[in-house]
Amino acid sequence: MSPQAIVQAAISRGVDLIAVTDHNTAAMVEVVGRAAQAAGLHFLYGMELQTREEVHVLAYFDRAANCLACAETIYSLLPDMPNVPDVFGDQVAVALDGTILHTEPKLLVNSLDLSFGETLDCIRSFDGLPVPAHIDRASYGVLAQLGVFPENTGCQLVESDGALPPSLQNMTRVCFSDAHHPDQVGEVRTEFRLEEASVAELQVAARGEAGRSVKCMGE
Amino acid sequence: MILTELVDRMGLTPLTESIGSVPEIEAGYVGDLLSHVLASATPNCLWITIQRHENVVAVAQVAGLTGVVFAEGVRPEAKVVERAQNAGIALFSSPDSSFELAGRLHRLLHPERS
Repeated sequence: MSPQAIVQAAISRGVDLIAVTDHNTAAMVEVVGRAAQAAGLHFLYGMELQTREEVHVLAYFDRAANCLACAETIYSLLPDMPNVPDVFGDQVAVALDGTILHTEPKLLVNSLDLSFGETLDCIRSFDGLPVPAHIDRASYGVLAQLGVFPENTGCQLVESDGALPPSLQNMTRVCFSDAHHPDQVGEVRTEFRLEEASVAELQVAARGEAGRSVKCMGE
Repeated sequence: MILTELVDRMGLTPLTESIGSVPEIEAGYVGDLLSHVLASATPNCLWITIQRHENVVAVAQVAGLTGVVFAEGVRPEAKVVERAQNAGIALFSSPDSSFELAGRLHRLLHPERS
């Protein structure tokens, strides 16, 4: 997706906070971040990591440097398997004007050599906020891949397509578009009441403290 | 053993249409974690799985697998079947478990070890 297309789609649909969470890479976060901020949007740097058990975990960071540092660490934990462009696409990072900055040779649609717990720890070690992604989906969600939500993960926010099951009622649901195309931006959204768009504020909002809150739209 | 004979003797239900060539199956592989199958499955094998995500076809293509058997009555969506058809990957379904299917396949490919 082009950075401008993402930003324009967000603006036209009344979305004022976006995050980029590409699969196992942060190659585009700075470019999209600059475009978003120039257009007056709030922005969080992110990735979607795939654990050894094929669970998807979203990772959000306040600063590009933290996101990129985490990306560099996890890159070394991706198998040394080359991409097959005909099957998986080109894996390109582009500049604002569309010129190709980098073509990633390693297959990104793969699992990191990290367990679910280790992935949460890794994200936190870079001051990031881990949010298990689409936990109720038939593939790549923690409930399908692990059977049950592991205990003592420290996770408060979880992303879920549908309402949380009774066993997870103490957690806070978020829902996002998972847009792979500009048309999908804003299709699913969550309303946050925050002092500012930051990881710390998201955590306060997750607990519903100090006037901050989280509400999935459509609920 | 050639695929058509295996399909017959294992009682598999084809989900894709035959593409004409009759491939030889050399081995089987059982696995539901796609990244693991990508790393470990060998070419020309019959893959038994309950994973129905569309990435199954991509993995079968990249790993050079001949066909995929969906066990326990699991049925992939129409778009997955279509993608497999276009990629020349044969898909099958069976109500039996991965354990049963693997046992049957192993006996057929290695009667000397039964």
